[in-house]
Amino acid sequence: MKSWIEKQKYIIDFTLSSLLRRKVKNIGLLILYALIVFILASVMFFTHAIKKEASLVLRESPEMIVQKVVAGRHDLMPLRYRDEILKIRGVQAVEGRLWGYYFDPVFGANYTLLVPPATTATEQAETEPMRTVVTENEHRHGPEEQAMPLVGAETIGAGNIVIGNGIARVRNAGKGEFILFRTHAGEGMPLRIKDTLSSASELVSSDLILMTEPDFRRFFGIPENYVTDLAVSVRNPEELSTIAAKITRLFPDSRPIIRDEILRTYDSIFNWRGGMMIVILSAAVLAFVIFAWDKASGLSAGERREIGILKAIGWETSDIIRMKFWEGAVISLTAFLAGVILAYIHVFFTHSLVFEPALKGWSTLYPQFKLMPFVSAEQLTTLFFLTVVPYTVSTIVPAWRAATIDPDAAMRHTGE
Amino acid sequence: MIELFDVRKVFNTGKPSEYSALNGISLNISSNKVTVLTGPSGSGKTTLLSIIGCMSRPTAGRVKLSGREITSLPERFLTDIRRKTFGFIFQQHNLIKGITALENVMLPAYPLGERHGPLKERAMHLLDRLDLSRKAHSRIEWLSGGEAQRVGIVRALINDPSVIIADEPTSNLDTKLSYRFLEIVETFKKDGKTVLITSHDPLVYQASVVDEVVRLRDGRLEGEAP
Repeated sequence: MKSWIEKQKYIIDFTLSSLLRRKVKNIGLLILYALIVFILASVMFFTHAIKKEASLVLRESPEMIVQKVVAGRHDLMPLRYRDEILKIRGVQAVEGRLWGYYFDPVFGANYTLLVPPATTATEQAETEPMRTVVTENEHRHGPEEQAMPLVGAETIGAGNIVIGNGIARVRNAGKGEFILFRTHAGEGMPLRIKDTLSSASELVSSDLILMTEPDFRRFFGIPENYVTDLAVSVRNPEELSTIAAKITRLFPDSRPIIRDEILRTYDSIFNWRGGMMIVILSAAVLAFVIFAWDKASGLSAGERREIGILKAIGWETSDIIRMKFWEGAVISLTAFLAGVILAYIHVFFTHSLVFEPALKGWSTLYPQFKLMPFVSAEQLTTLFFLTVVPYTVSTIVPAWRAATIDPDAAMRHTGE
Repeated sequence: MIELFDVRKVFNTGKPSEYSALNGISLNISSNKVTVLTGPSGSGKTTLLSIIGCMSRPTAGRVKLSGREITSLPERFLTDIRRKTFGFIFQQHNLIKGITALENVMLPAYPLGERHGPLKERAMHLLDRLDLSRKAHSRIEWLSGGEAQRVGIVRALINDPSVIIADEPTSNLDTKLSYRFLEIVETFKKDGKTVLITSHDPLVYQASVVDEVVRLRDGRLEGEAP
């Protein structure tokens, strides 16, 4: 056993010295290899982390949203629907929500306007604790912490707004300043910035504007007895689909959307974006595969001669294959680790500098947020099997072919 | 004692380029003696040497080493015999560039898994015997032709083989270094080793240290009928 260990040590030692002897070739290969791992890992880390972030944010969203549909499109929801839905057994609360979009032609950006919940369901607000504005740049990583900004309408006050960081950046506006909006009727409507939202929630709040209910209704001209949609909470989440079916039966022109469906949509959007990136980069990956195959599988005359010498002086075929295996493993593992570490730094410390525009989506208001470092064993395993295993195998095959040739090739080299 | 019975070797069998390098060689090589295989280029010296040294197999015929038939042994056993019984000195030295003389010398012992300390000590001792201890940590490409050849000789001795095989050892050496090589062969003989050399250098096959000269021509022993 001791001699077996010594033998492996000698082989690894010789492998490392072999790698150093062909510095230029191996360093070039290592850099390219690490670059490919870096690209793949960056895309993978980013899409997984952003999905995780989105799912954490959405965890606090309503269990079910009910919209009214007219001709297949979303329409304003009459408040009487709320009272009827509340009567369904198992429904705990129904909250009318007011939200909409506003296009700012000056900055070419779309804003999301929202009335914080307490103003539309005053009867519930009375029983709930006072909500506070989250304004500081604190980072949310604990599962118990809130992802969505909690803003009480009471604290906003009429004529005021609370804006997301994206808007503050694009308009270069801060607390106390006024923003002039144009209402549905074309009148000017100046609103004062009372505060900005926490950057921790920026993934969903970058383009958000919070305002009071009366301001919102005036802005869009929505009558008192209408809301945008309804947020429904139930006592037993298992009953969600049953309650959704009951709502559809009660109001055939309504569309209940369950939170899991939203999560699935987010999932597929970011998977799609990640997939698109990989498709675009596949040419680079293919170029690397061809390069790696050529470098790894084609033994140079010098390497063949070396194998011949080693066999002639008593190395077995298996020793040479083991040596080539270690050679491939050292290069691919080093490149794998370097690529993964660089990708980790790139995604979680430099805000995915390289892929940001393609992966986050396209908008005037790019959210700026720090992703929560999240790497799963499954991701790393997938990456490992995509990169390390094929390369290592591709180095062994030609070495095995060269090593099974008679060792007298080394003698033949001398002539006769 | 190495015995050869009607050994034949054909290259590229069945192809238009088929070529018969050895045409039935029967020979006994005595132990503890210096034997030289000589003959013109293409006479089959190196082919015969590689078959004796278990580097390749004959197409037909048998080879016995100390009474044991080795031609039909599987590759692994042949490697083991090659490693423990034979030490090879090549014409072009066949040293691995980029590593030191000491590492080159130790290479044949790596597959045996011997502990590093004693192995290094033995390698240093052997290098010292051939006045190379100062060059132990020099890279191969920094050595002169004579020094490189002596490193090749030390490498052949590292596993303490009973048979030393040298293929055209003086072809790249000047006269002085060729004599130095023959002095080294003398020490092998004194140590009780069997030495087998291929050479068409008269300085070698006419040397006093040589016990037997085997002449080859066209893949046959000279004087034998085709």
